Amino acid sequence: MSNPAPTAPAGTIYDRGYRHYEGPREGRGRRVRAIVVAGVRRALGLKRNWKTKVIPWGLLVLAFGPVFAFIGVRVLVGEAVGEFLGYGRYLRIVAGLLLLFAATAGPELLCPDRRQNVLALVFTRPVTRLDYLLAKLAALLLVVGLIAVVPLLVLFLGNTLTADSAATYLRENLDDLGRILLAGGALTVFYSVVALAAASLTDRRALATAGLLGVLLGSSALANILFFTTRFDGRRWFALLSLGGAPGRFVDWLFGDGFDPGTLAQQAGITGPAYLAEMGVVVAVAGGVLAWRVLRLRP
Amino acid sequence: MPVAQVEGLSKRYGTIQALDRVDVVIEPGCTGLVGSNGAGKSTLIKLLLGLLVPDHGRASVLGHDVAADPLAVRARVGYLPEGACLPGDVTAADFVAFMAQLGGLPPRPARERTAEVCYQVGLDEERYRAIGGFSTGMQQRVKLAVALVHDPSLLLLDEPTDGMDPQGREDMLELIDRIRGELEIDLLVSTHLLGDVERVCDRVVMVHAGRVLTQGPIAEVAGTTEPGFGVQLGDNGPQVREALAAAGLRTRAAGEQLLVQGSSDLVRDVAAERGWPLRRLVPQAPSLEETFLRLQAAQGAAAVPAEPPPATPEAAAWGARR
Repeated sequence: MSNPAPTAPAGTIYDRGYRHYEGPREGRGRRVRAIVVAGVRRALGLKRNWKTKVIPWGLLVLAFGPVFAFIGVRVLVGEAVGEFLGYGRYLRIVAGLLLLFAATAGPELLCPDRRQNVLALVFTRPVTRLDYLLAKLAALLLVVGLIAVVPLLVLFLGNTLTADSAATYLRENLDDLGRILLAGGALTVFYSVVALAAASLTDRRALATAGLLGVLLGSSALANILFFTTRFDGRRWFALLSLGGAPGRFVDWLFGDGFDPGTLAQQAGITGPAYLAEMGVVVAVAGGVLAWRVLRLRP
Repeated sequence: MPVAQVEGLSKRYGTIQALDRVDVVIEPGCTGLVGSNGAGKSTLIKLLLGLLVPDHGRASVLGHDVAADPLAVRARVGYLPEGACLPGDVTAADFVAFMAQLGGLPPRPARERTAEVCYQVGLDEERYRAIGGFSTGMQQRVKLAVALVHDPSLLLLDEPTDGMDPQGREDMLELIDRIRGELEIDLLVSTHLLGDVERVCDRVVMVHAGRVLTQGPIAEVAGTTEPGFGVQLGDNGPQVREALAAAGLRTRAAGEQLLVQGSSDLVRDVAAERGWPLRRLVPQAPSLEETFLRLQAAQGAAAVPAEPPPATPEAAAWGARR
């Protein structure tokens, strides 16, 4: 009788004892990237309960929905609807969404870490406060840029592909692509830095959101009241007090859409570069506040 | 070679001197850092991590100068902080994996080690639940997993059994024992519970009001207290203490009993002379608690040497109860 053929073992015993990690260890860049990825997830409510997804995904649908609807109409009707949804006009609408998005996502990124004392753990890893600050800023720039730039790029791509001649459309409207990137980038930086600065001043999300909206919208109301109730030569500069209005006015100027008749922007007669400079000053001040607050954080 | 060493370390918060010219040597193994609340334990740990900047002195951890290279220290040290510090709306698995990446692990190994470490600390399937729904004991386990996940060479545990029920405390002490034994990771355990230190540590550093009372192996430190007796004589009132003192005995209140140092025969004689009922007369082993209370009381009167006196063979025999 021959020996039985060796058979596969019926089971395997795994040693689940503690093992030391002997794999590669990554550098500062990857640690910062981990905070960025976690921040993007948090801002979009990913891997969290459905309530945290309502606002970011609702705003994303509002930002992207009209673009896809318009492209669909273009596919059916052709270039005849070309004037229906201009880049400048669309970005003007998106600016409102950006404000809401940044005002909720910014505090979401900074406030819970301090309120729940998570920094007591984060800063015990080889992560500096500057790493933390840059990573949080990068995360918010990414998600705000997703609304500020991507829908318009999709719209531009859709317009190009549905045009009678894509090459001709691209050649004739290449300037618009530059304007989209410039305006989208400026709005992204403006809203992101300002939102994070507001979030750095308190560990309560609702307070940071309300404070930011209050300052931006309240300053616009104040500028209108001062401009329309006073009568002196230099009153047109009151338009620059409107912190919330500056991004939209810059967009209107950049895309050559003109200001709405009868509004403060139209009557003040201040041009786009002044509004861009105003945004730059606001970003510089808000960035200073943000750095001052975050770099002094103590776990 | 010591795993950590501080020399002349001082730290002041406003008018409060949190640490005052502290010299400490942390040897390999498990060291207990004991002291009352506010003694300076957490401040010392934060200085070791480079989270605070000392006013004077220097600290080195695992061969790295903390002031010169705090990031190198933090890459090799795990820390379990005191109090709540976990995000409530994130799962334990996600958070531990995130902290592993902050410790330098790539994303995939970070997830794999998260699963392993969570299993080791007793968080198996629970790791997929949001941390906000965890009990205090479970949250302490998450914090321990965070401290371990990047495979540190030294663990700093700040009040690891704080707020835990007796069973949870027992489980945590067993985990600490395993970390030292199986995992071969050196530990510094800060606590005000001397029983925890006696249970899991080899060495002890006692601090009080920002100063080191004593430090060394537990058997030696506990042995610096002269053995005595727990006595319940009459009402243990002032008259009793005066009578015992007159007989040449040293007494100190310790809970409901008097701790008496000297001959038990003298206690018996005093009881017989005064007609006081002697309800209790039991040998009292030298312990960390006795040593700590004695040194704490003595510190106000005179400077206390940082190093304990050499242990007598008798004292070593009393030893630490492990």
